[in-house]
Amino acid sequence: MASGYPPSLEGPVEVKEGFLCPLCLKDLQSFYQLQDHYEEEHSEDVRHVPGQLKSLVQKVKKAKDKLLKQDGDDRNESSYESFYCGGVDPYMWEPQELGATRSHLDIFKKHRAARIDHYVIEANKRIIRLEKLTSFDRTNMDAGKIRAMEKSVVSWVNDSDVPFCPDCGGKFNIRNRRHHCRLCGSIMCSKCMEFIPLPVAYKLTSGTREALCVPAGSPGQTQPPGAAGPAGQPASRRGSITSLSSVSSVLEEKDDDRIRCCRHCMDALLKQQEKLEEKDHVPDIVKLYEKLRLCMDQVNKKAPEYIRMAESLNAGETAYNLDIAGGLRTEVQKYYELIDALSKKILTLGMKEDPQPHPKTLQLQRMVRYTATLFIQEKLLGLMSLPTKEKYEELKEKWKEEQERRLQQERQAASEAQKRRSELEKNRPRLAANGDARPARITKGVGWLPSSDAVHRGGGELDDPLLQQISNIESFLRQARAAGRLDEVATLEDNLRQLLDEYDLQQTSHAILLSQQLAQEESLQQEPRQRSRNPGFAVQGGEDGDDDDEEQQRDVRSKHSESPKMQTLAIKSFPPLGESPPTTDAPSLNPFDEEDSTPLEEERSNPFTEEIQKEQASATPRDKREYNPFEEEEDASTWEVGANPFEEDDDDDEEDDDEFGTGNPFQEGPGHAHTASTNPFDDDNDASVSYEVIEEELLLQQIDNIRAYIFDAKRSGRSDEVELLAENLRDLQRTLQEQKRKPR
Amino acid sequence: MNVTLAVKQYVSKMIENSGPGMKVLLMDKETTSIVSVVYTQSEILQKEVYLFERIDSQNRDSMKHLKAICFLRPTKENVENLIQELRRPKYSVYFIYFSNVISKSEIKALAEADEQEVVAEVQEFYGDFVALNPHLFSLNLQGVSRGRSWEPSILPRATQGLTSVLLALKKCPMIRYQLSSDMSKRLAECVKQIITKEYELFDFRKTEVPPLLLILDRSDDAITPLLNQWTYQAMVHELLGLNNNRIDLSRVPGISKDLREVVLSAENDEFYANNLYLNFGEIGTNIKNLMEDFQKKKPKGQQKLESISDMKAFVDNYPQFKKMSGTVSKHVTVVGELSRLVSERCLMEVSEVEQELACQNDHSNAQQNVRRLLQNPRLAEVDAVRLVMLYALRYERHSNSILPSLLDELQRKGVSERYRKMVQSMVEYGGKRVRGSDLITPTDAVAITKQFFKGLKGVENVYAQHQPLLHETLDQLIKGKLKDSQFPYLGPNALRDRPQDIIVFMIGGATYEEALTVYNLNRTMPGVRIVLGGTTIHNTKRFFFIKNQSRSTVYGKLKNK
Repeated sequence: MASGYPPSLEGPVEVKEGFLCPLCLKDLQSFYQLQDHYEEEHSEDVRHVPGQLKSLVQKVKKAKDKLLKQDGDDRNESSYESFYCGGVDPYMWEPQELGATRSHLDIFKKHRAARIDHYVIEANKRIIRLEKLTSFDRTNMDAGKIRAMEKSVVSWVNDSDVPFCPDCGGKFNIRNRRHHCRLCGSIMCSKCMEFIPLPVAYKLTSGTREALCVPAGSPGQTQPPGAAGPAGQPASRRGSITSLSSVSSVLEEKDDDRIRCCRHCMDALLKQQEKLEEKDHVPDIVKLYEKLRLCMDQVNKKAPEYIRMAESLNAGETAYNLDIAGGLRTEVQKYYELIDALSKKILTLGMKEDPQPHPKTLQLQRMVRYTATLFIQEKLLGLMSLPTKEKYEELKEKWKEEQERRLQQERQAASEAQKRRSELEKNRPRLAANGDARPARITKGVGWLPSSDAVHRGGGELDDPLLQQISNIESFLRQARAAGRLDEVATLEDNLRQLLDEYDLQQTSHAILLSQQLAQEESLQQEPRQRSRNPGFAVQGGEDGDDDDEEQQRDVRSKHSESPKMQTLAIKSFPPLGESPPTTDAPSLNPFDEEDSTPLEEERSNPFTEEIQKEQASATPRDKREYNPFEEEEDASTWEVGANPFEEDDDDDEEDDDEFGTGNPFQEGPGHAHTASTNPFDDDNDASVSYEVIEEELLLQQIDNIRAYIFDAKRSGRSDEVELLAENLRDLQRTLQEQKRKPR
Repeated sequence: MNVTLAVKQYVSKMIENSGPGMKVLLMDKETTSIVSVVYTQSEILQKEVYLFERIDSQNRDSMKHLKAICFLRPTKENVENLIQELRRPKYSVYFIYFSNVISKSEIKALAEADEQEVVAEVQEFYGDFVALNPHLFSLNLQGVSRGRSWEPSILPRATQGLTSVLLALKKCPMIRYQLSSDMSKRLAECVKQIITKEYELFDFRKTEVPPLLLILDRSDDAITPLLNQWTYQAMVHELLGLNNNRIDLSRVPGISKDLREVVLSAENDEFYANNLYLNFGEIGTNIKNLMEDFQKKKPKGQQKLESISDMKAFVDNYPQFKKMSGTVSKHVTVVGELSRLVSERCLMEVSEVEQELACQNDHSNAQQNVRRLLQNPRLAEVDAVRLVMLYALRYERHSNSILPSLLDELQRKGVSERYRKMVQSMVEYGGKRVRGSDLITPTDAVAITKQFFKGLKGVENVYAQHQPLLHETLDQLIKGKLKDSQFPYLGPNALRDRPQDIIVFMIGGATYEEALTVYNLNRTMPGVRIVLGGTTIHNTKRFFFIKNQSRSTVYGKLKNK
């Protein structure tokens, strides 16, 4: 079924031939699988044959070329190309670079800049005038005085110059009178006239004044849109426009709480106001979403680590600690719970509000939730479980046995290889005569081409790369002899000798190493065995509370020594003595302990109990069963737990987002991200001073990063940022120098 | 040379350029198909693109917390819509990508509209074609011709589409066209013009053998689109209609709700990828295997789930399991529907006669068979008409042609007049008078002997005897034997070596049978890579209306039947 893309004319049997591994003849189903297989299984062949061999190969000048070419061909061609009579399946065409592109950003910016200058000047003028118009006390002044003041701000267009309303074209007469825009001085009729309520004007003119003015402004009047509630901005904004016009229709001449202006100015002001609002306002969904992404990043980081651990533990290896893995598992699972809760919260945002959010907003929320669900499904369900303690002990035993067996096998293989080698030496002439060994191919431009028949014949048995290499060279030797290349025979023989020496050396050192390992292991296993004598450790479900507590305490202690993060976590989950019921903490380490529960449930319930326990530390123990972990999580502790990392990361995000210019809601204002306090690089510098020793690698990496940032900033023309970054770079480089100077 | 990958890389690059955060993808009608063919929803969701909007949609809310990625064709309406959008921006920042060359004046107009400085990127990304398979693209253009020449509004679009393919693949080709077709020549000239005008864009790394663009005309081979197909992809298109790799199954009796419309994409459907070029019989076996596999993996009831290791295995396999169950039900439904149609419409018999008409030269036998089939009451209207069309094309000038009586037969059968008229227009479209190369009876000695050997070997599969003309043309081209007199080069230069990278474009639409041919050529010819494109991808129904672009409404009606 998965046999690549078999040609319709050929049978599937033939296809299978195409994806045999050239080294071990394992049948693989597709080209990609083959490639993966090759990289996984046989890359060590390349790696293991160390520099020693490489230099050897280099000595064999002519043969080397052939050899390498042969290897390369094996890898690429025999896998797919040569098989289909030379053609290539379109699905397997080699990767290509990105197609042609062309940027118009420069021209665009040029045109925009010209326009923006004009626009900004106009906007600033308007604001300055508005400020002047609102600077005096209108309510206690008579209309004439106000008029005079207003006239002084901007020169009014002459009445006689404008016989018709420029907006609607209506003729001006006694009934249809002329009105002047107080902001630009132009003329329009009463129908085309707009009013700016004073609160809005105040808000526009000064952000600082806003806070004082808005609550003080007449409450019965139009409420400034900013105060209409944080969530439903679109609705409230629309509301503000309608209320503006309703005001204009009710009031006729008295301008004590509003300013007349033309439609165009009003439009521009409204846009400005909108922008002002957005600048300070970060919608809830963005806040939640950022947290969601952070959790996902954490999972992406931690899950592979955990899987590595779990795999190793399940195999009975001793490279990782079972407790640490358990802790990591709980941590990852907690992130999943967080993701679930966050995405649920995003889904229901604004659902209860009276004017339902725009359908597109709802769609967005649904999509975010859907993505989170997909993410959880894909990642969480692939999370394998850990072995129980007893099981782990068993596994460890098994692994040890296996190791021993392997060691023995290796020894045996070595002796066998030795034997075979001597046999080969003896049999060689006969083999060649039989035609068993492939005769050396002689091609025109090249002379002869050694084909490593040993690779195909005995690949399965000779698992040591050196052994393989030895047999390869032996076969080359044979071929060279057959071809009568005496000089090459000499060099090859030389190589063979060196290789054999190397092999013997390796074998002895390997044996020593293994015996050492064995001793170590035994000493390691002494420890857990002693531990398991403690009754609190063998989790059987029938334990009493004291034992559990004891166990938990030990857990805390062990975690404590591992990492500070883990420590806080464990402490939180640790219920106060006496007050808490003896809930078993064991399931977190042993999800398959209880026979009747499904693993799915177990996985889900674990973090819950954890969560509940956490709550119990602070809340009353009464409502422990009816608890909805989601609700609580959202409201109380979890946010706080997560708060710190989020904040830190926000800075990073801002740095990234900054290149998208102003008006970006993720960002508080232009230049904000560049202040020293929020610059993540500065933090790094501070840290570098406080720590005695810094990983040089880290520093180098940082420098590279900054270089990339500089390049990026330069490209998008943010010169201020470039300067700042360059400074950072210098700092870093200085630190690096110091670091290097320090004696190790 | 992989067109799917080319578009995919463009889209990925766009998303990548916009950085982290929630995003909305703003597209027009055409770019929506372009993107949706190469990306599935879940794939693009993972890249934080949560909304997909049409630029011309009025029902969009202001969402300043979203970044907008605009992927638009550089049409007047789009630019106008974009200007309106920028005047009152609904999103925080705009990354604008045009799928083709855009004029400086339009850039200026956009820049002047961007008073709020929300635009962060303006680029041309040349994904102006629908990439159906790695080696197959379509422009989704219907009704390209008016008489024997281009429909004036379509030619620029075809030129844009074709040049964008060249740019996406980074090829600056030499051009050959079909001499007998004016349309080919016109298109070739237009493409050349663009290459000359935008020489900076086409300044790619020179390869040893320059790539080749071959422009052909459908009218040279009107038979291929009229035949019933038996490979999976072609069959689905013929019987169910593939539209941007989607099939509409809503007319299938008793269809479940979530299978109304299914996507068949080789990109993320392993079964489809493995079977799209296999014939119906092989698919039957494979689907059976798939079912068995599925049943093996499917947990049988609760009792089997009792042991913990079972459950663990289940959970570990869950994502794959779920994906697989989706695949299984989809393909079972599709294949089931195909076989229902095949038996309902006697397509095996029909196809046999069709193949005989197309490949053999036995008039008396052919006319008997056609007559016999026309008597069959189960024969569908479309199949009846296409048999007569095939007969008409095949024995157009035969002295004993029974075409008039066959047309009468159609009338008796109750085939509508519109359909009957199409027989005549088809002959006008693809008849002998029009054809440049010999579609039916090979004249030169080599071809005759070939035919002879074919006869000797016996027919392996009666339903797949036909080889499209394209196979012969490309074979000759690859061997360097394609006649300059029939397919001249545009301009003074000619290719001295055998071509390596070939882009074939079929004016009037390609077929999935031809796609299969190109696929097989790619696999069997060393060092040759061929990409096939067409103004559209035909099935018989679509092909019927090739000449009657004004009847696109008719096509719609037909589809709904």
